[in-house]
Amino acid sequence: MATVGLNGISMSYGKTRAVHDLSVDIADGEFFVILGPSGAGKTTTLKSIAGLVDIDAGTVAIGSNDVTQVEPYHRNVAMAFESYALYPQKTVSENLASPLKSGRTGKYTDAQRAERIDQVTTTLGINALLNRFPRELSNGQRQRVALGRVLVRPADVYLLDEPLSHLDAKLRAAMRAELKQLGAMSKTTTVYVTHDYQEALALGDRIAVLREGSLVQIGTPEEIWRRPADTFVARALGQPEINILDGVVDDGRVRLGGNSGAFDLPLPADVRRSTGDRVRVGLRPCDIHVVAGDSTSARLTGTVRLAERLGRNVELTVDVGGEQLIVLSSGREGVDEGSRVSMTVADKDVHVFGAGDGDTARLGAEQSLEAAL
Amino acid sequence: MNLTKFRPTRSELLPGQKRLSPGSVVADVGLIGWFLFSLFPIAWMVILALKNAEEQTTTYFQFSPTWSNFATVLSDKGTQMTSVDFKAALLTSLLNCGGAVIVSLVIGIPAAYAAGRWKYKGSNDLMFQMLSFRFAPELMVIVPLFVIYNQIGLFDTKVGMIWVLQLVTMPLVVWILRSYFEDLPADLEQAALLDGYTRTRAFVMVALPIVRPGIAAAALLAFIFAWNNYVFPLILADSNAGTVTVAITKFLGGGGQAYYNLTAAAAIIAALPPLILALTIQRYLVRGLSFGAVKA
Repeated sequence: MATVGLNGISMSYGKTRAVHDLSVDIADGEFFVILGPSGAGKTTTLKSIAGLVDIDAGTVAIGSNDVTQVEPYHRNVAMAFESYALYPQKTVSENLASPLKSGRTGKYTDAQRAERIDQVTTTLGINALLNRFPRELSNGQRQRVALGRVLVRPADVYLLDEPLSHLDAKLRAAMRAELKQLGAMSKTTTVYVTHDYQEALALGDRIAVLREGSLVQIGTPEEIWRRPADTFVARALGQPEINILDGVVDDGRVRLGGNSGAFDLPLPADVRRSTGDRVRVGLRPCDIHVVAGDSTSARLTGTVRLAERLGRNVELTVDVGGEQLIVLSSGREGVDEGSRVSMTVADKDVHVFGAGDGDTARLGAEQSLEAAL
Repeated sequence: MNLTKFRPTRSELLPGQKRLSPGSVVADVGLIGWFLFSLFPIAWMVILALKNAEEQTTTYFQFSPTWSNFATVLSDKGTQMTSVDFKAALLTSLLNCGGAVIVSLVIGIPAAYAAGRWKYKGSNDLMFQMLSFRFAPELMVIVPLFVIYNQIGLFDTKVGMIWVLQLVTMPLVVWILRSYFEDLPADLEQAALLDGYTRTRAFVMVALPIVRPGIAAAALLAFIFAWNNYVFPLILADSNAGTVTVAITKFLGGGGQAYYNLTAAAAIIAALPPLILALTIQRYLVRGLSFGAVKA
């Protein structure tokens, strides 16, 4: 068990910049999630903690030791690879025994080894597979074995690279729940890389969002979800994606709906923008609540263009004053394509970002981002 | 060796299905024709090896088969006729080629691993430099080599032959094995590093067993190429380190009579060791051990 400190690490593959000036401090025993799209530098970050890539600049510390120049086998970290990386010529039990036989993770008698392997395989439900070869396993089973090879040994840090990404949806949800309940995980500092925002929000004590090798935001799942630092983070989290609308500030309110300014929302108090300033407003589909019929409390009214039933939810595309809004409804309001609907949005669910074409930063009190860092 | 032989034919691909279209008949006849055409030199050699001295120059298919040519080649009589001990040459060939392949593997496997794993400025140039030894005709370098070998006392020594055969075997081993190591996911060795093994042990424990089929294939090819080499032993060796390829030609006679039947018999005997080696390690040649190592 140990803290992990990344201080200004940078790493390039030829001309491609994988990670740029990344600094993160991970607390002892924390479950830390690194979230980002593919190519964001997540795996490179993980491998620089493991010592599997040579970083160009910066330092890596595990506990109180600077391990930047330390070989992987002296760092006492365990890693589950996205590709599983099970030794093809070894059986499951030989794969699991491998970290215990190297002599660098402690000395074990045959009996102690057998006991540890038995514990782990029981926990992961892979007892019956011990004599099989990796090629004889399903992806879900391989993933468990790869996880077992991490859990079977004591380590200062567990590094998990997209451990659930190759599983089908149902198994993924089940494994996600299992992961959270694993005792070893809750005690050992764990760095978990994923591109799945649901995994990140469900598992992480804290989440770091990466884009093109740079840190965009770091914080608790609540902070990341409630106060996305910019439109990139806002878009990365949530399915369907957040609605981003262009608007103009008008006396404490934001006028939306193009030039006509067909509807408006209150400007959050901490956003200091004066009348005439252009901004962008983010509204999560799940934060927009459909109210049946016309309601006096409703802030938005529009016409349903498209209604798609997606399991427990109905995804509505609503035309509000010329803007297409995606809205998640429970489907119990009895709205259908063509019908008029009223919608409410809580003040706290109105996200305001700077105007512009690319990713723009959140406007308002920045203290959440500062505090998290 | 005729590698086309191992390609599955149409009937193997479709068991129990026999299509008799005009096209397939023409194709089959054509293939059979090509097969006979390719096999003809080998058939000729076998026939020649079974003929006695009087019949060796006849071209019609009528002769009394005899095994005596094989016995003569391997006996003292053969040695007297050619002033070369064929059995000794056979043994020398085995030592030279075996030694050359072993040296190439010992040096070439780590070299191929390094070339496959670590890319740096000029690493490709270095590989092509090595391959260029194969591009250049041996005759181009043989004269300076002869002078050098004479001066440093390597002429007609087995060490010298093993060394010069590296020009033949080393590029093969390095190039074939490099592609195997490149195909091998680096994750496997990285996993071993994090399991607590050093780079050397990760290489021996993880990478080597997986590329074993590649090593077998490279070793076999290198052995065959070294075995078939003629120019180097012809110029750089004599009675001590002379190989079987040179010994065969002695039966064609220096000044007296040419023994085509003995030459053919010697050639058949000389072809056996690579053939036996190929059959022995055939099961290691089957690829696919690494299949399923990484996600399907």
